[in-house]
Amino acid sequence: MLVILAVFAVASLVLYPLTRSIGRPAFAVAALIPAAAFVYTIAQAPTVLAGGSVREQYLWIAELGMQVSTRLDVLAWVMSLVVTGVGALVLLYCMRYFDADEEGLPRFASILLAFAGSMYGLVIADDVYLLFVFWEATTVFSYLLIGHYTGRRASRGAALQALLVTTFGGLAMLVGFVLLAVTAGTTQLSALVANPPEGAIVIVAIMLVLLGAVSKSALFPFHFWLPAAMAAPTPVSAYLHAAAMVKAGVYLIARLAPGYADIPGWREVLVLFGVITMLIGAGRALRQYDLKLLLAFGTVSQLGFLTVVVGAGSRDAALAGLALLIAHALYKSTLFLVVGIIDHRAGTRDLRKLSGLGRDAPALAVIAIVAAASMAGLPPLIGFVAKEAVFDSLLAMAGEGSTVGWVALAGVAVGSILTVAYTARLIWGAFSRKPGVESAPPLHRQRVDFLIAPAVLSAAGLVLGLLPNVVDSWVAGYADSFPPAREPYHLALWHGLTPALGLSVLVLVLGAGALLVSGWVNRSGWHVPEALGSNEMYWRILRGVDRGAARVTVTTQRGSLPFYLSVILIALLAFVGVPLVLNRTWPDTFTFMSHPVEGAVAILVIIAALAATTAQKRFQAVVLVGVSGYGMAALFALLGAPDLALTQVLVETVTLIAFVLVLRRLPARLGERHGSVHRLARAGIGVAVGLLMGTIALAALAARVDAPISDEMPRLAYEGGHGQNVVNVMLVDLRGWDTMGELSVVIAAATGVASLIFVSGRRDYLPRLSRRDAQERVRETLRRVADPNDATERGSWLLAGRTLAARNRSIMLEVVVRLVFHAIILLSIFLLLAGHNAPGGGFAGGLVAGLALVSRYLAGGRHELGAAAPLDAGKLLGAGLLFAAGTAAVPLLFGADALTSTWFELDLGWFGEIVFVTSTLFDSGVYLVVVGLTLDVLRSLGAEVDRHQEDAEQTEVRS
Amino acid sequence: MNALVPLVVLVPLLSAAGALVFGRRPRLQQLITVGALGAVLVLSAVMLGIVDNDGPLAMSVGGWTAPFGIALVVDRLSALLLMVSAIVLLGVLLFSVGQGLADGDEETPVSIYYPTYLVLSAGVFNAFIAGDLFNLYVGFEILLVASYVLITLGGTEQRIRAGITYIVVSLLSSLLFLASIAMIYGATGTVNLAQISLRMQEVPEDLRIVLHVMLLVAFGIKAAVFPLAFWLPDSYPTAPAPVTAVFAGLLTKVGVYAIIRTETLLFPLPELNTALMVVALFTLVVGILGAVAQVDIKRMLSFTLISHIGYMVLGVALGTAAGMSAAIFYIVHHIVVQTTLFLSAGLIERHGGSTSINRLGGLLKSAPVIAVLFFVPMLNLGGIPPFSGFIGKLALFDASAREGSALAYVFMGVGAAVSLLTLYALARVWNLAFWRRSEEVEDYDSTITALLRSAPEMGSPREQRRIPRLMTVATTSMVAVSVALTVLAGPLYAFADRAGQNITGPGTYIDSVLGPGTSAEADASVDSVNGSAP
Repeated sequence: MLVILAVFAVASLVLYPLTRSIGRPAFAVAALIPAAAFVYTIAQAPTVLAGGSVREQYLWIAELGMQVSTRLDVLAWVMSLVVTGVGALVLLYCMRYFDADEEGLPRFASILLAFAGSMYGLVIADDVYLLFVFWEATTVFSYLLIGHYTGRRASRGAALQALLVTTFGGLAMLVGFVLLAVTAGTTQLSALVANPPEGAIVIVAIMLVLLGAVSKSALFPFHFWLPAAMAAPTPVSAYLHAAAMVKAGVYLIARLAPGYADIPGWREVLVLFGVITMLIGAGRALRQYDLKLLLAFGTVSQLGFLTVVVGAGSRDAALAGLALLIAHALYKSTLFLVVGIIDHRAGTRDLRKLSGLGRDAPALAVIAIVAAASMAGLPPLIGFVAKEAVFDSLLAMAGEGSTVGWVALAGVAVGSILTVAYTARLIWGAFSRKPGVESAPPLHRQRVDFLIAPAVLSAAGLVLGLLPNVVDSWVAGYADSFPPAREPYHLALWHGLTPALGLSVLVLVLGAGALLVSGWVNRSGWHVPEALGSNEMYWRILRGVDRGAARVTVTTQRGSLPFYLSVILIALLAFVGVPLVLNRTWPDTFTFMSHPVEGAVAILVIIAALAATTAQKRFQAVVLVGVSGYGMAALFALLGAPDLALTQVLVETVTLIAFVLVLRRLPARLGERHGSVHRLARAGIGVAVGLLMGTIALAALAARVDAPISDEMPRLAYEGGHGQNVVNVMLVDLRGWDTMGELSVVIAAATGVASLIFVSGRRDYLPRLSRRDAQERVRETLRRVADPNDATERGSWLLAGRTLAARNRSIMLEVVVRLVFHAIILLSIFLLLAGHNAPGGGFAGGLVAGLALVSRYLAGGRHELGAAAPLDAGKLLGAGLLFAAGTAAVPLLFGADALTSTWFELDLGWFGEIVFVTSTLFDSGVYLVVVGLTLDVLRSLGAEVDRHQEDAEQTEVRS
Repeated sequence: MNALVPLVVLVPLLSAAGALVFGRRPRLQQLITVGALGAVLVLSAVMLGIVDNDGPLAMSVGGWTAPFGIALVVDRLSALLLMVSAIVLLGVLLFSVGQGLADGDEETPVSIYYPTYLVLSAGVFNAFIAGDLFNLYVGFEILLVASYVLITLGGTEQRIRAGITYIVVSLLSSLLFLASIAMIYGATGTVNLAQISLRMQEVPEDLRIVLHVMLLVAFGIKAAVFPLAFWLPDSYPTAPAPVTAVFAGLLTKVGVYAIIRTETLLFPLPELNTALMVVALFTLVVGILGAVAQVDIKRMLSFTLISHIGYMVLGVALGTAAGMSAAIFYIVHHIVVQTTLFLSAGLIERHGGSTSINRLGGLLKSAPVIAVLFFVPMLNLGGIPPFSGFIGKLALFDASAREGSALAYVFMGVGAAVSLLTLYALARVWNLAFWRRSEEVEDYDSTITALLRSAPEMGSPREQRRIPRLMTVATTSMVAVSVALTVLAGPLYAFADRAGQNITGPGTYIDSVLGPGTSAEADASVDSVNGSAP
C-alpha cells in the first residue's frame, strides 16, 4: 500500500511535464494509477472479506509515537474501492472534458492525481497523525483545485473559504487526536477504536474530532463552503465534492463509531446536525436553477443523511450507512459528470434554458435517469436497497423508544421526500422539452468515450442493486464490529411487506407531491431564512478577525521609538519591580562612599547627564555626555584602576572628535521633540528605572553567596599569564576570547561607519574622483613637494598642508603636529609593549596612535591624512584581526587550547634581557584594529564628509 | 576533539580578516566567505556526531581552567543550532551573492558586506558555544553590531529610520543584559554558566526571582516576545531581503536559545514557568493578529515571526523534557522556514517590484518557479502536514497534553487558532499575489483586503527584472532543506529529543564544564529540588 502511495506521489510529479508535452491524453496515463490501486484493492478481497486485514507499518517519529502505518480492513477496503475507482474514471473523463488549450492543465492534472493519492492514503491510514497528514493534504489540494480558474474571483474566494473552514475543523480534530492519543497512550487508530480510553477528556477529544469531520463533510453549520466550491471544474466537483473528499468526514465517523458511539453526546450531535443538514440541503436544492448547484445542495443534504445513519451507531445502521455511502458515491458522481457533459454540450447549466436534451442525447438521459433513480430510492437500484436498510434500522432504533431514533427517523423520512422531489426536478430540468424554450444545438461534437465514466458508474449502481447480497457480503464485516442487538439485517431487494417498504412507498408518493408544492412555493417567493445560510456568518467572522487584528495592531504598533522604549521599560518596571518589592534580602551595612571625591564626581556626572537630556544644541549635548564619561574615568582612577581610567579618557576623546566631525554637517539645534510619550511620563520612567537598577544592585550584592572568582585573578595573572598588570592579562589572556570578540565588534562598527558615509558609492551616479585618482593626486602633490626645484612648496611643515584653503590653515598647529607626531607614535608603541606589566596595552596604545593621526588630519586636512597613513584602513583592520584570531588559533596546531600563551626570555646582549609573552602578539592585533578604526572613521567622517561639503558648496556656487 | 569548538568562531573571524585584507577583490572575498561558512558547516556536523555519541565538548580558552577562563561548551543543543545556523547563513549568503548585495564596496575605505556578514556569523556561533555569561554577552554584541551595519545597508532614509529603532532598542536590551550580568556577578561572584547554576541554588529565592526576571526581560527583547517585540516589524522588513531573511531566521532564535539556557541551566527551578506561558500565549495571539492586518508580505512575515516565537517559548515554559524537545525541534524548523520565506519574498520583490499584496498580481503565471518556492514554505509555516511546522506543532501539543495544566490546554486551543490565522494570512497572499491576474490589480476592492493596514511603500516599484539564477538556486536549496526537515523528521526529532533530555536538569552541562560529579556533589550539599538527567 505504501508503494502505491509512493507511486501516486512520484506520478503526480511526473504528470506535470508529461501533460505539458502530450496534453490531454496524459489523463489516460494518470488514470492507470488509481486503476492499479483499484485492482490491488480488489485482489485483497479474500483476506479482507474473511475478516482479516492487510497492514504495513514503518516508524516515523518514535518519540511522538508517529508511525507510517496502513491497514486495509473492510471499511478501508470499501472506501479504497470508491476512491480509486471513481478517481480513475474521473481522470479518464477529464481527457474529454477539457479543451486542448485549457490554461493550467498540467498543474490541474498533477494536483488531481496527487489528491487521489492522498485520499487513498486517508482511508488506509492506521495512525491518527498519518490520517491527519492525508486529511490536510486533501484540504490543500482541494484549495488548489477549487481555485483552478485563478482568474475568477469567485473561484479564489471559494477556495480560500473551503481552505479556512476545513482547516479550522482539521485543527480542532488534531487537538482531539492529540488528547486521545495521549490519554490512550497510542496513536494507532485501530487500537484506539478497539480499546477506547475513558474519561471527560476523551469526550472533549471526540467532540473535537467530530468537529473536524463535520466541517470536512460540509454539515451544518459549515455546509456553505460546498456549494461555493462548485466554482471548480466539474470533474473536481464530481470527485472531491461528491464521491471522495467530503466523504472523509463520514468515513472518520464510521471509523470511530464502533468504539465511541456510546459516549455521551455522540448520537445526539451527529443525528441532530445530520438531520438539520439534510433538510436545509434538500430544501435549498429544490430552489436551484443551476443544475450543478442543485446537485451541490443535494450533496450537502445527502452528507447529512449519511452522517445520521453512520453516526447512529448500531449494527444495522452501520450496514445501511456503508451501503448508502457506496450508492451515493456512484450516483452522485455520475450525475455531476452528466451535468458536466450537459454544460459542455449546451453551454449552460441553467434548467430554464435547457430543453429537449432527452431526445437529442438519449444515451446521456438514460445514464442520468438510472443514477437519479438510485438517488431517489427506486428499485432495483442500490440506492433503494440502501434506503430500505436505513429505514429498517432507524425504525428499530425508534422502536426501542429512543428519542434520537425518532428524530433520526422523522428527519430522514422528510429529507428523503425532499430528495425525491429535487431528483425529479433535476431530471425534468435537464432533459424535458419545455414549452417556449428553444432546444439549442450542441456546441461541441460529443465523442462517445466522453460517456464512458458516467455510464460505468451508473451501471455499477444498477448491477449492485441487482446483487444486494454481494454488497452485503462486503459491508457486513464492518457492521459486525458493532454488538449485535437483534437478528442481523441483510441487504436485499425484497424483504416482504415490511414497515420499511411502506415508508419507501410513502416517501416516493409524497416526494411527487412535494415537487408540485415546491414549484408553488418557489413562485410565491418564500425561501429558507438566510440566517440558516451560514455563509453570512463566515464573512462576519472573517471581517471581525480582520477588524480586531487591525485594532490591536494599530494600538501596539505605533511606529514610535519612544513608545516602544516606554513599553519595554514599563514592562521591566512591572516584571522586575514586583518581585523586588517582595524581596527580603537586603544588606546589613551600607557604605555611601569610600572617598569624598567620589561623591563630588558622582554629582558632576549626574548633573551632566540631566543637563544632556535637556540640551537644546547638539554640540552641547555631546559635550555633556562626554563630561559623564570623563567622570566615569575619574571614578575608575579613584577605585584603583588606572588602565580603565586611561582607556576611558582616550575613548571619550576619540568619541568627542568623531561626534564633532559628524556635527559639522548637521543643524546646530536639536530637532523638535515629537515623542508620543509625554515628557513628564518619560522623566518618571527614567527615574524609576534608575532607582530600580540601583536597588537591585544593592540587593544582589547583599546576597553574595561565595567568594568572587576575581579574587584569584592577580595570582593567576602573574603565575600563569606572566604579567603584573592584571587588567591587561585579563584582556589579552585570561579573557582574551572576549577581547577577540570585541575586536570584531570594533571592525563591524568601522564597516558600519563607512557603509553609511560612502552610501553614495552604491546608489547615486554623481561623477566623482575615483579612489585611484585621489591616490594619484596625493602622490602627485608629494612628488611636487619633494622636488627640490619646486620653490612654491618649500617651507611647508606638513607635506599636504598646501592643499588646504588658506582660511583653513593654522601654521601654529602644523608646526606642533609636525613636532609631536612621531613622538606620539613612539609613545603608543611603548604603551603597547609595556602594557603587560604596567598601565597601557594595545587598546590604549592604538587609541594614542589614532589620536596622532587625528592631529595630522585636523592640521592638514584629508590629503594630509592620506600622506600620514598611506594605508588601507581595511587592511589594517584585517591584519589586526588576523593577529588576534591567529594568536588564538595557532596554539590549536600544537595541541593546546585556543589562545594559550607562552613566553620567551631573550638575551639581547647590550640591551639586556627581554621577556616576550605571546599574548603581546594578540595585543598587537588589538593595537592595529584600533588604529584601523580611527583611520576608517577619519576617512569616512572626516575626509568623505569634507568632500560632501565641498561638493555641496560647489553645487551651490554653480546654481 | 575539544579543539574543534573554538574553530567555529575562529574560522569566520580569520576569514573576515581575510575579506578585509582582500577588500578590493570581490571574487576572492566571495570565495573566502563561502569557504568559511562551508567549513563551519562541516565542523558543526562533525561535532554533532561527536557530542551525540560521547557527550558534550567543553574547553576552557587559553588553558585557564574553568571557572577562571572562558568556557566554551558544545552540547547537543548547541551543536544542532550551530549546524542549522551554518546552513541558513550559507544559503542566504549565496542568495546575496546572486543579488549582488556587495556591489559598490570598491569606493569605501573598508569593504563592508562580506566581513560584516562573517562577523555576524561569528557572533551567532559564539553565542551558541558560550559557556560564560559575559562571553554570551560578547557573542550578542558581535552579532548585534554587525546587524546594525547590515540593516542600514544602502542608507536610504527608510533604512536609517528603521535602523535607529532597531539599534536603540537593541542597545537597551544589551544594557539590561549587561546590568543583569553585573547583578548576577554581584550575587554569585562568577560568570561561568555552570558555576552560576551551582551557586544560584544558594541565593535566596526572592532575590533569585528578581535576577531571573531581569535576565528574561533582556533576552525577551532579543527573542521578540510580547510586549517587548513591537520594534521588530518596524525594523526588519526594510532591510535588503537576504539581510531580513537571516535576521528573522536566526537572530531572534539566539534570544530564544539564551532563554532556554536561562530556564534550564541558570534558573532550572520552575518558579517562572507559568508567567512565561502567559507571555507566550500573548506573543502568539498579538503577533498573529498583526500578521493578519498587514498588506506587505515582508511585514506580515515579521509578525508571523513574533507570533511563532510564542510556540518556542511555550515549549520551554512547559518545563518538561518533552516540551523542551518540541521547542528545540520548532526552533530548527522555524529558523529554516522563516528564512526561506523571506528569501522567497525577496524573489517576489525582485520580480514584481513590490511586496505589497495590493500591488502584486499574476505571479503564478509570470513566475511559476517563485510560486512553488513560496507555496511550499507557506504551507510549512502554516503548519500543514507533513511539513516540519506540523510536526513541531504536534510535538508541542503532545507535550502540552502530557503536562496537562489548564494553561497547557488553553495553549492547545490558542496554538491551533494561531495556526489557522497564519494560514489565512499566507493564503490571502497566495490568492491575491499569485492567483489574481495582474490586470485585476487596479482598483481592486475586496472584503479580505478592506481592513488591511497599508504600510509605507518600501522603495519605488522597479521594472520587472530577470532574476539571477543564483538567487533562485539559493532559495530552492533552502526550500529543499525545509522539506528535508520533514523527510528526516525521524532522526532529527530523535536528536532534538535527546538534546531536550540533555538539558532537563543542569547536571550534564555542569559536569561537562566543571568535571564529572560536580553537580551530584552540589546536589548532595544543597537540598536540591531538580533532578539531573543522565
